[in-house]
Amino acid sequence: MKRVIVILLAIMFVANFAFAGGEQEATSSDSLKVGMVTDAGTIDDKSFNQGTWEGILEAEKDMDITTKYLKPVGTTEADYLKEIGNLYDAGYRFMVTPGFKFETTIFQAQDKYPDCKFVLIDGAPHNADYSVFNTAANTVAIFFAEHESGFLAGVASALQIKEGEMGFIGGMEIPPVQKFNWGFQQGVAYANENFDTKIVLNAENIIYQGTFSDVAAGQQLAAQMYDKGVSVIFAAAGGVGVGAINEAKSRAKSGEEVWIVGVDVDQYADGLFDGKKSIILTSAMKRIDTSAYDMIKAELGGSFPGGETLIFDASNNGVSIPAKNPNLDSSVESSVGDVFDMIKSGSIVVAAEQGSLIK
Amino acid sequence: MDYIVEMLNIRKEFPGIVANDDISVNLKKGEIHALLGENGAGKSTLMSILFGLYKPDKGQIKVNGQVVNINNPNQANDLGIGMVHQHFKLVHNFTITENIILGLEPKSGLFLNLKEASEKIRKLSEKYKLNVDPDALIENVSVGMQQRAEILKMLYRNAEVLIFDEPTAVLTPQEILELIKIMRNLTEEGKSILLITHKLKEIKTVADRCTVIRRGKMIGTVDVKDTSTADMAEMMVGRVVSFNVDKKEQEAGEIVLDVKDLSVLGSHGVRTLKNFSFSVRSGEIVGIGGVDGNGQTELVEAITGLKKIESGSILLESKDISDYSIRKRITSGMAHIPEDRHKHGLVLDYSLEENMVLEVYNRSPYAKNMFLNKSEIRKHADKIIDDFDVRSGEGPVTITRSMSGGNQQKAIVGREVDHNPNLLIAVQPTRGLDVGSIEYIHKRLIEQRDSGKAVLLVSLELDEILDLSDRIVIIAGGEKVGTVNASETNENEVGLMMAGVGKGDTP
Amino acid sequence: MKIKINKQLYIGLISVLLGLIAGAILMAFTGNNPFLGYSYLFRGGLMNIERIGNTLATATPLIFTGLSVAFAFKTGLFNIGASGQMLFGGLCATAVALTFNIPRELLLPLMMMAAILGGGFWALIPGLLKAKFNVHEVVSTIMMNWIAYWTIYYSVPAFFKGEFLETESRSIPEFASLKAEWLTNLFNGSFINYGLFLAIASVVIIAIILNKTVLGFELKAAGYNRFGAEYAGMRVDTNIVLSMVIAGALAGLGGATYYVGYASNIQIGVLPTLGFDGIAAALLGGLNPYGVMAASIFFGIFHSGKGFMNAMTSIPPEIGDTIIATIIYFAATSVLIERAMAIVSKKVKGEN
Repeated sequence: MKRVIVILLAIMFVANFAFAGGEQEATSSDSLKVGMVTDAGTIDDKSFNQGTWEGILEAEKDMDITTKYLKPVGTTEADYLKEIGNLYDAGYRFMVTPGFKFETTIFQAQDKYPDCKFVLIDGAPHNADYSVFNTAANTVAIFFAEHESGFLAGVASALQIKEGEMGFIGGMEIPPVQKFNWGFQQGVAYANENFDTKIVLNAENIIYQGTFSDVAAGQQLAAQMYDKGVSVIFAAAGGVGVGAINEAKSRAKSGEEVWIVGVDVDQYADGLFDGKKSIILTSAMKRIDTSAYDMIKAELGGSFPGGETLIFDASNNGVSIPAKNPNLDSSVESSVGDVFDMIKSGSIVVAAEQGSLIK
Repeated sequence: MDYIVEMLNIRKEFPGIVANDDISVNLKKGEIHALLGENGAGKSTLMSILFGLYKPDKGQIKVNGQVVNINNPNQANDLGIGMVHQHFKLVHNFTITENIILGLEPKSGLFLNLKEASEKIRKLSEKYKLNVDPDALIENVSVGMQQRAEILKMLYRNAEVLIFDEPTAVLTPQEILELIKIMRNLTEEGKSILLITHKLKEIKTVADRCTVIRRGKMIGTVDVKDTSTADMAEMMVGRVVSFNVDKKEQEAGEIVLDVKDLSVLGSHGVRTLKNFSFSVRSGEIVGIGGVDGNGQTELVEAITGLKKIESGSILLESKDISDYSIRKRITSGMAHIPEDRHKHGLVLDYSLEENMVLEVYNRSPYAKNMFLNKSEIRKHADKIIDDFDVRSGEGPVTITRSMSGGNQQKAIVGREVDHNPNLLIAVQPTRGLDVGSIEYIHKRLIEQRDSGKAVLLVSLELDEILDLSDRIVIIAGGEKVGTVNASETNENEVGLMMAGVGKGDTP
Repeated sequence: MKIKINKQLYIGLISVLLGLIAGAILMAFTGNNPFLGYSYLFRGGLMNIERIGNTLATATPLIFTGLSVAFAFKTGLFNIGASGQMLFGGLCATAVALTFNIPRELLLPLMMMAAILGGGFWALIPGLLKAKFNVHEVVSTIMMNWIAYWTIYYSVPAFFKGEFLETESRSIPEFASLKAEWLTNLFNGSFINYGLFLAIASVVIIAIILNKTVLGFELKAAGYNRFGAEYAGMRVDTNIVLSMVIAGALAGLGGATYYVGYASNIQIGVLPTLGFDGIAAALLGGLNPYGVMAASIFFGIFHSGKGFMNAMTSIPPEIGDTIIATIIYFAATSVLIERAMAIVSKKVKGEN
């Protein structure tokens, strides 16, 4: 038995010498190497990871960069830091990390790798006990006005449906998801008041599933809501939303009129069934891709806004519903356009707090 | 004379063992040909080859003089070869007719024509005097009738050659007599029979010729009427075998085990043992005789503590042990050679020495302060190995799984006897063993009795019960049919009682 | 005994080799050079002292869950609940760390004790269910995984919430972490922590329990042949419970090393995959405690080297996972390898 350990240690040390010295060969080409570390979930999560990655790929098309994403083993700070270390050792000097879970990670990484640029989406770097917030000169923190996006989707859905019940399925009960929810409720209320729609939002149909991954649970929740007479569900829930979409599709195939409002990215294509029709009414978009793209562009142009915290909202087109919404009437689209302009100009203010809203 | 089946120079190897080495068997038309050999001698392999379950490595098979290739049981059926398996292959909630036609259902249009089939079966049954009700459900008929249904199944498929694999194992003596008659009827009607068995007495009664196989090799084919049982046994075992169990007359002593009004629930909540009472005294062997599945297992499990009792009491040396844990029963002086040595008797993946302390590992000197004392365990195993002639590849460290059945059983007997119990319960102690091991274990059991121990013997082998026991308690349907003194009874009487026909209790 | 261990070692090594070959084929298939890929993989895990430290830190909780699964396996139980036991043990350790303000020398042992009790308790329930009602432990431990998941989901925000975020507990203070400055510095800033020493100690203790004690004899007997153990008068039901509790305690301690060593807080909404990876480590390690440790370190190399391989080559991250899965597959089907070995050795002998 001792032999096993001895052999193992021997292998490790031999390997250490044999493989050491590979660090210098890392950087080969001169183009900017842009890396990304994914959050929990896969690269094709139809949400955060995917949005970020698409922005990076878009930048790769237009600019001279090489790209790479890494998928950490777990979701702890240690796992994230290890992948950042891997990218760094491989010569990557510009990294995009999606999600608030990277806050403490980037707080450490920005000091550990001062010659590397970091873009933290949906969060601001801080230490473990929140006593120190510091966005270093090599880091940009990006936030989105999810409530405005939710508001627009709420108005659009209410205008299109006019009468009936709507529901909300969230992933975890965390600020970005909550802000979507609160914005959506305000949007529906706004439409009821100003456009004479009759949409009901019952408290029992505002639900946080608790994960971003439980597809089956999403399907169940959606089924329960549809059975109760809900016709539109706003699903801000990652994989849980995928389940809701699946449920809507199978119901639509059998002739029921049910809808999903997508989140983060334009989910129209995910809702396609029977080839042509989609159950995605519209989507409450965060232009994650745009933000990633813009930052890469800024870095190459020498204007990387290091140290700043940026907010992407209606005023800088950081949130919106999709440009094309095949399921919305053109009159609805133009009304939403007007609302969008009013938010932009500040004549409509969407609250980012719960206030008297449901959950 | 022509042979209906000839198996010539058959050789079959399995990894690590030559199961059949150059064996030839010829079956004449209309004869009963016995295939005799100990367990593992290669009889079943040979018949499986004939039935198309295995392919021989060498040799050929001729049916009616033609060389044939038999690749699967269907081909064997087509050639007129049928097999009555030891474990019946019947669907329990089907009628006998339905079971028989399974696989070749007679159809008229889209529908089953059961009537026609049932009529044909009734005729066949009459012709061969099988006495089978074609419309009875299998689950409602006796084991004997199930076996006859199996035979009918072969006849329905026009089998000319019938292979019987250990057909008497599941039958009462009376049913065995029935079967022998049926076999004679079959041959009179021109069928030929291959009978696989290790019971010499049956061969002597029913077979015309007998081929003996020992360890995969053919020893020879003899005419049964010219050969004595002892000679056949010698051919089978390879040395002179003594059939007589030496047992000196001895007065039984105090009551050691006293079972009173014992009732036990079976696995389905049905009461499988009903108000059972008997006792075992020191210095005597009490045999429990009965057909398999009549409550013996439950009786033993209740006494040894593997199963909870429903009512009644179990006294071991006047102490009621019915609430004792298994361990407490063991320490109170009970030892148990279990029916299933693989399921209960041994931890097959443990070494021999570990198995030898299976019940005492936690006691001094085998354990010291929660740690095992391996040198003492080794000593203990060495002693049992010496005393009981346990043979194995690597001695005490042999993994018991790799040992032969006989040596596994000797080890268990050794372990149990080594506890120096007041009551030794031996259940089927010689099941599946070769004649040598059987002799040895019998001797050891008698030794225990002679040294004043109480021995309870449960066996399905009537001969074993009759040879070893001082008194015999007969069980049928979970009830005691009666008790007889072994010296005053015979096979016929016990057989009748096993079938449930009562008799006054002899003390 | 010696022969047996060697055989298992061979089986393990062959599994690894077959897995690596399969992985190489996959790499080649996706247009990459397998030799380069593997060299980056192992470099990623071992090329400097920090990475070696990280490899060991990654392996630490896996050693515990692997040991937990292997121990239960040895005693005839399939513990799929190591994840839940880890979670609950980790929660207990975190709770102690965030509640008591006592010196480190007292706090750390108290935290570990809490983790052991927590994990043990979490496995006690399936153990009792199995012993009393014959509820299969596969079912009940999986259910306990989700009960743990939701317990953490609601109790962490309720009692140990961070100032702003609800998805993880407050970070545990430095003096309550299993990380030690001297160790971190020795390994150049890696995540290695005292958990590794606890893991090694547990491996030795479990090996002794299994091979040298009365308890181990009883537990293994029940594992190999429940009926045989019953027949011999062993209290099989009690042993089932005890065995589950020990397995749970191991996983719970592993949870502590994960949440207050490797990480510094407990996240809600995450069922750690380490409990399932532990099954793989147990199988690859041939259920032998030392084997489990070796297998865990091997997986540690993979997990920490995978990212570097992905960064340096165009091998997709999923291939790294696939290679590990392949190795697990070969380990799990070690019976086949064993059989193949028997045939080969017979042929060799036959020819001589």
